[in-house]
Amino acid sequence: MYQVEASKALLKPKLWARRSARLNVPRNVVMLGMVSMLTDVSSEMVATILPLYLVFSLGASPLALGAIDGTYRGAAALVQVISGFAADRWRRPKQVAEAGYGISAVGKVALVAAGNTIGGIGAIVAFDRIGKGIRTAPRDALISLSSSKAGLATAFGVHRAMDSAGAMLGPLIAFGILLAAPARFDAVFVVSTLFAVLGVAVLVLAVQGRPKRAPRVDDGTPPPSLRAALGLIRDRRVVVLLLAAAVLSLTSVSDAMLYVGLQRKIDFEPAVFPLLYVITAVAFMGLAIPVGQLADRVGRVPVLLCGYALLFVVYGALLMSSLGYGLLVLCLLGLGGYFAATEGVFAALAGAILPEELQASGLGMLTTVISIGNLISSVAFGALWLTLGLRGAVLVFAVALALAIAAAVPLLLRSQQAPVHG
Amino acid sequence: MGSRNGKILAAIVVLCVLGAGAYIAYAALGPSETTTDTRPEAKAVLADSDVMVRAVDPDNPQLNGRVFEVDDGKVHHDGDLACERVYYAAGHGICMAIAPSGVDYEAKIFGPKMETEHTIRLTGLPSRARVSEDGRYGAMTVFVSGDSYLESSTAFSTRTYIVEMTSGRAIAQLEQFGVEKDGKPFDAVDFNFWGVTFDPKDSDRFFATLGSGDQHYLVEGSIKDREVKVLRDGIECPSLSPDGKWIAYKSRIGQSNRWHLRVLDVATLEDHAVAEERSIDDQAEWLDNETLAYSDGHNVYTVPADGSGEPELLVRDAASPVRLSDAS
Repeated sequence: MYQVEASKALLKPKLWARRSARLNVPRNVVMLGMVSMLTDVSSEMVATILPLYLVFSLGASPLALGAIDGTYRGAAALVQVISGFAADRWRRPKQVAEAGYGISAVGKVALVAAGNTIGGIGAIVAFDRIGKGIRTAPRDALISLSSSKAGLATAFGVHRAMDSAGAMLGPLIAFGILLAAPARFDAVFVVSTLFAVLGVAVLVLAVQGRPKRAPRVDDGTPPPSLRAALGLIRDRRVVVLLLAAAVLSLTSVSDAMLYVGLQRKIDFEPAVFPLLYVITAVAFMGLAIPVGQLADRVGRVPVLLCGYALLFVVYGALLMSSLGYGLLVLCLLGLGGYFAATEGVFAALAGAILPEELQASGLGMLTTVISIGNLISSVAFGALWLTLGLRGAVLVFAVALALAIAAAVPLLLRSQQAPVHG
Repeated sequence: MGSRNGKILAAIVVLCVLGAGAYIAYAALGPSETTTDTRPEAKAVLADSDVMVRAVDPDNPQLNGRVFEVDDGKVHHDGDLACERVYYAAGHGICMAIAPSGVDYEAKIFGPKMETEHTIRLTGLPSRARVSEDGRYGAMTVFVSGDSYLESSTAFSTRTYIVEMTSGRAIAQLEQFGVEKDGKPFDAVDFNFWGVTFDPKDSDRFFATLGSGDQHYLVEGSIKDREVKVLRDGIECPSLSPDGKWIAYKSRIGQSNRWHLRVLDVATLEDHAVAEERSIDDQAEWLDNETLAYSDGHNVYTVPADGSGEPELLVRDAASPVRLSDAS
């Protein structure tokens, strides 16, 4: 299974790069996609083998790492808003993104040097999370500012596709290294570090810090103040978009939970479980660009709503008493389509209405709203599952998601109207 | 990107590729000890029981995981099985191991001459293995890395399979069993089962751990009814004594990932500590009705089950102890 993925995934980035000329995606976006891809290869290489490493080299239970990881994910959500504002305030999104990618790369170096204690590994996982929190908003702002408003969803689609290609390649490369050099985890860490360094190098050397839509710094206007950034929440169009993001993310169950639910419905063939992730990720990777193009052509709001409608259909499948393999695969493709139609498209919706000088702040707010919404929905879904059972929990969420979609229609349409003056 | 930046980037790419290639080559071709001199070393072995162990030597891939039998203080090397976790009873064994591909895991179901009879693909890191006293059923637990490609979360969960040993087929997954607590159906998204132990007198009946949130329940179940019942909280990796009267288990210290070994009276549900004071992450094995064997990841130790005495080293450089009854 992994080998097949390897050859496919290896070919894909090249195809995209060649096609990107035809797609008319700005070179800066492709380069940013490359940065994310290299960094994701680096992170996922380590994430994949960390459980193995913990058990075989340190004699620790992998459950220890689960606890480590959960702690920092909440913190990373808040870092996003702050780093977004910092990028706008200093008018240096590229440098703030460099700090974020740099911190993760330093974490990898530390893993090579001092990765032989649980505490050390915990600190390094934390580094990676914080780095991710710092870089997300300024990087999305750079993508947005590098693209024309008409091509935003395609640009974000290209970036997200390359990003998930990296996440698929990372485990394959890690396994390949362990295949060549059994039990040499140090080799995986060294190669992971080199990928992280390459990512930073591409960012520093090949990404334009002041793309075409970036605000001019030499025209004498003062940098945006904190008041101006907070003022975004008084902008009618931004508020309704954030509201729509909140209601939709609060009613979306994380894919990890959906997999657990789906798995209860099918027979217990042990080999199936990892395939759930792979099929979804491949679908996401393959669909992100065409769906982005579609969104730019026929409208981002309908495409986004179709994405959530796909999620609704997957909820419906969870309500069925049993599930065959055919339906299961359809569900996973639907889930991949849902990610393709929502992940990048939401960012494109925000990029289109945010003022140029506050892109990073606004995008940071959006991702924070979505990640906090998802966090709450996961906790709520878990609690409902405990009290009402899986069926009851899915029913409640299906109804809530339908209501959220209905509520989001006017909100999203209003967010994309021309600004009302006066 | 100016042509100067382009050149620097090209140079960095070349350096990284060469560096990675060189390091992997060094790691792949580097010295690998092929000696098996440092095989497990037995100390005092109880007179009335033989044990099977797996060798622990992470620096020596040729030796690490090899299965050895310890008989009256002598160590035999039997066959070529190398396992991350091993168990054996009544002519049927489970060996959870890294697959020949090097990147997957599999369970080898083996017979009395250590020959592989069936192979089952696994989907995660080997954790626990048990075979019922009559050799009819096996149980294995794997850690599944729930790490999602999309959100890069690093959540872990476990899966526990019941295997019919003669056919070598996984016939059930505990996660799909019905659960009853206080007479009512009980379900949650984060249910994880691990550490099965079979009733020595009735292999359909088993005990296991059910984890959900911060709770770790002792459950009692039936394979044919596909149902388990929650008995009490705070018990992980139960292990029934040969007479079925006691359950040795891991007791979590607070919310940490550290555990003390304790022993529970099945009839009264009262429990007591054993003399081992270190944290132990293992499913203990009963050598007889009075003695526990367990590994700290490096060596196998024994300790009296009644709380008296001291831990004693049984086999050096070994883990996964299995009592071999004289019959087999």
